Amino acid sequence: MDLKATALLKLIYLEMFGHDMSWASFHVLEVMSCPRYLQKRVGYLAAVQSFRPDTEVLMLATNLLKKDVSSPLAPTMSLPLVTLPHIITSSLALSLLSDLLPRLSHSNPNIRKKTVATLYRLALVYPDTLRSAWPKIKDLLMDEDEDSSVTAAVVNVVCELGWRRPRDFLALAPRLFDLLVDGGNNWMAIKIIKLFATLTPLEPRLIKKLLPPLTKLIRTTPAMSLLYECINGLIQGGILEGTDGAREGEEIASLCVGKLRGMIVVEGDPNLKYVALLAFNKIVSSHPHLISMQQDVIIGCIDDPDVSIRLQALDLGSGMVNIDNMIAVVERLMQQLRNAPIASRRVDDGRSHTVSVEPAADSDGEDPEETLRPAAESQDETTALPAEYRTIIIHQILDMCSKDTYSNITDFEWYIDILIQLVNLVPITGQSTPELYGSSGRTLKNSSTSHEADASSAIGWELRNVAVRVSTVRAEAVRAANSLLSVSGSEGFFALKGAGGEGILTFVAWIVGEYVDGSVSSYHSLDSLIHPKVQSLSPMVICAYLQAIPKVLTSIVSQRLLDWSSEHKTMMSLLVARVIHFLEPLAMHSNLEVQERSIELLELMRVASQAITSHGLENDRGPLLLTRAMPQLFTGFELNPVAPTAQRKVPLPDDLDLGAPINKSLPRLLQLADQGPLAESEAAEFDSFYNKRPLPRVATGPTFNSLASLGPEPSSYQQTGDSIPDTDTVMRKRNQRRERNKDDPFYIGNDDVSSGTSTPFHDILRSANGEDVDVDSIPIMNLDLGDKTLTADGSNMETRRQKRRLPKKFDIVKDENIEYEDSGVAQSETASMGTMNDNGPFQQARDKTKKSLLQVDSRGLGSFSLDNSESVAEQLDIERQEAQDTEMAKALAEVERLRLEMQRASERIQATDGAPAEGTLVKKKKKKKLKQLTGDIEAQFRKPNPEADGGPVRGSQDADATLIAKKKKKKRKPEITRPDDEKELRAFEGGQDASSFRSQAVL
Amino acid sequence: MINAVLVFNNSGQPRLTKFYTQLDTSVQQRLISEIFTLVADRSSSACNFLPLPPLLATTPSAAATPTQPHNDTPSLITYRHYATLYFILISTSTESPLALLDLIQVFVEALDRLFENVCELDLIFNFEALHATLGEMIVGGVVVETGLDKVVRGVREQGKVKKRREVGLGGADGLGVVGGLGMGRGWR
Repeated sequence: MDLKATALLKLIYLEMFGHDMSWASFHVLEVMSCPRYLQKRVGYLAAVQSFRPDTEVLMLATNLLKKDVSSPLAPTMSLPLVTLPHIITSSLALSLLSDLLPRLSHSNPNIRKKTVATLYRLALVYPDTLRSAWPKIKDLLMDEDEDSSVTAAVVNVVCELGWRRPRDFLALAPRLFDLLVDGGNNWMAIKIIKLFATLTPLEPRLIKKLLPPLTKLIRTTPAMSLLYECINGLIQGGILEGTDGAREGEEIASLCVGKLRGMIVVEGDPNLKYVALLAFNKIVSSHPHLISMQQDVIIGCIDDPDVSIRLQALDLGSGMVNIDNMIAVVERLMQQLRNAPIASRRVDDGRSHTVSVEPAADSDGEDPEETLRPAAESQDETTALPAEYRTIIIHQILDMCSKDTYSNITDFEWYIDILIQLVNLVPITGQSTPELYGSSGRTLKNSSTSHEADASSAIGWELRNVAVRVSTVRAEAVRAANSLLSVSGSEGFFALKGAGGEGILTFVAWIVGEYVDGSVSSYHSLDSLIHPKVQSLSPMVICAYLQAIPKVLTSIVSQRLLDWSSEHKTMMSLLVARVIHFLEPLAMHSNLEVQERSIELLELMRVASQAITSHGLENDRGPLLLTRAMPQLFTGFELNPVAPTAQRKVPLPDDLDLGAPINKSLPRLLQLADQGPLAESEAAEFDSFYNKRPLPRVATGPTFNSLASLGPEPSSYQQTGDSIPDTDTVMRKRNQRRERNKDDPFYIGNDDVSSGTSTPFHDILRSANGEDVDVDSIPIMNLDLGDKTLTADGSNMETRRQKRRLPKKFDIVKDENIEYEDSGVAQSETASMGTMNDNGPFQQARDKTKKSLLQVDSRGLGSFSLDNSESVAEQLDIERQEAQDTEMAKALAEVERLRLEMQRASERIQATDGAPAEGTLVKKKKKKKLKQLTGDIEAQFRKPNPEADGGPVRGSQDADATLIAKKKKKKRKPEITRPDDEKELRAFEGGQDASSFRSQAVL
Repeated sequence: MINAVLVFNNSGQPRLTKFYTQLDTSVQQRLISEIFTLVADRSSSACNFLPLPPLLATTPSAAATPTQPHNDTPSLITYRHYATLYFILISTSTESPLALLDLIQVFVEALDRLFENVCELDLIFNFEALHATLGEMIVGGVVVETGLDKVVRGVREQGKVKKRREVGLGGADGLGVVGGLGMGRGWR
């Protein structure tokens, strides 16, 4: 066995390196059952490391575990306690619970605290554990004399339980408060604070109580962890917001922020820096001004060598910026991007490396500082930034700038300039293949929506946004777009850079096409749009290009509207020919979208070129197709940003009643159809025809149905047809039909007669609106165009900005929305959508799918109440059983005692044979009395709830009652007999007598 | 709660793996290697908190909702580097990051006391004691003891902890992992 244990130990070691050892589970069990402790320990260790819930031998282990849990030796006992959390299943929990509970009152504190933790894990898989265990755990917590480490363990467990159902733990608050104030154990204090942070939202009074000790702790504690958790608790518990009296709240907030600042500046410990920034991140939503006061420190952290700290600082960035520091912060970031060399070599290495070795992680590129430092040192002590980090910076810059619809930006020309610069700084780690992107841009992918999947398209998005919203700088934006476009076309800039930069081109092409009138050099744009290099771009970009080409072309044409000369004619035909030349290969592009668009455009261009050639010079207005028709395709309303929620708010037209029947006579028609057998079978045929049911079923089903329907109705009655059957029969028939079709998978069930047809939605609309649908009459939205200044914060902001000697006033077009509903509705709508998502029925399913690795499933606990007031009412079955058992035992004992009592009494009577008549009289009396007594007891334990004095103290009352009875007897006894115990045994007849008594009692 | 405790050396070889939830062996190995790649690239001056590895990363929408400050998802990876070994703790948001760092410290100090100037080799030959020490501190993901003395006493109660090769596992050389990593080097 020793050998086996050693072998097992080696096996465990190998298991750690990833070798499966599930085949050895039986041997594990064998070693577990060893009597020697050290071997047993090996066995249990093996169980911890290798057993899974589906391990079969687990069933066999139950008894062993039961035995070891109640072992007299503390070390042996703690083995199963430590092991159980790893292997626990609900059935195992059920069977072991009764063995574990007594361990809570074990004399060894070591055992007690381990049992508490084990019970917690039991409760996770088997929530009912708590019902019986919770009172005892609570006792442990409340006990002032309890071993401190046991209390700490209990607090840990309570903290774990606490966040799931905070309400149940409010009752513990006073005790926890005491522990916090004079506990002296930092670890425990941290946990208590964490727990309080979840309790305070439920009980606002706690805040007042907590505030003094917490601030005292913050001021005095030397332990950084405790300090940090105090602050964290203040933040998380909403105490900063919750204090009445804004001044007090501010005071504490600034105290916290000051302490956090101290953590960053003074200590110089990266960990403290990191957690302080984390805390800042949490405060920033409620107290942005306090944070922006700390911007020097935070910006310092942006330059920290540690990337995680930088990321935290960056996260703060967008929350921190305001109109004052905006430009400074962005410039700082830009500088960082500019100065750092693009880590191209390293990233390339990383890429080849990851492809060859391990496609899942490209984290080699995560922190290339160490290897690159020698190379980078020449460049101003800056370090090369990993591409991932660069993308995050870019996104952060964009987020900062676009916050609150550009409310922080005072100079849009500057912004456009920044955007252009950013384009050049976009990291190359091109997301050339989606797989690679998936691994390298994981953080990004998590945090961004689809449109800003990669940095360059995010920049493009911004550029377009600015171009659309801010009409004053539109020209600037278009110029920028043009330059980008020409760069991309002529030099193959983006082709060189890989697919990474392409994202922006879609947006750029759109801007150029849409706002072509503002562009100075349309020829130039067209040149770059139809550059041969374009064909190597991705389909998405080509599509955007294809849309832009005709727009630019028409603008060129319309510039020369008035003088249509031969020179112009040749030029135009040349241009058109070039476009056609460009389009022809694209017509055979592998991407369908590109193909379709290019063919459409190609045909248009061919018609246009014919029009040009056939157009005589005598007409000085140029061909109509070019001058009139084509511009009309592309000019029209100016496009404005529309809020994503606007569509939902389009009001329902008053005259549109979606519930109204399309055809008013439809019910009647259906009734008619129901009447005639002919119509019926026709309908059935129709049914079968359209539903394409398999032939054999068609043959049997409908004929049977029609026959059946014929059955109840006299055929002559139906033949007459003109007499309409009463509604009853119609209903009956309809129900029959519905019944019949219910099981037919091809039949779309209908509850309502009027909606029975499968009319498309627009048909309903059309019919409801009447024949002549006037599209304009549908009140889609009030277009309030560009002249609305956007000052999100109202006039206050506006005046402030004006004081600021603005060089220009920028009008930022807000998202269009339906006027009569204010934005509050939108917010609440999105909020409600959010809550719907959060709490809706999908939540559970989503939880399931998104359940992370390592996660403990504790949903069972969430719905579990610990409320003590209810616990009496809903006692656990086991407990009830137990209570009943004890009651029964008590009652039985009473009966037994009474029996003995009677036996004795009868013996005594027997012994005093020649006693006076008195004795017999007493005996008889007594008999009666005893009989009555036993009857009482019987009755009591037959129905567990005696009407008169039911309740929790029932048992004791019973006992009292019997006690009294006994006393009475005892009082009487001395009168009758001598207290002579030996005589009982001798008297044989007495025994018989007693047995008769017993039979009476049973009766 | 604490979801997992991992110890591996500078070359990513695991020295202790303890998962408080049941996981497939292969997944465990993947997780270890992912965390190792994350941790190995960090400079000594960097802070001791790791971003979540891809295996553990979930979409932010699943993370803490405003109504519920905590959840069951592991969200915190704390590590500490001693000589040749990395100590990793994976935990949920109910744990305090700084306190976890202290916990690792206690763990290592306890080992140091038990082995008297502990080194990686001790842990290889005596990894049972390593598990026992951990078992005194964390049960089922819940921290039950943070006091150094009590932990040490608890382990000693289970039997004498021997130094190096005196304890069984004579064949450990055959495992080919000894390789002189951090031989005899102290922890602090």
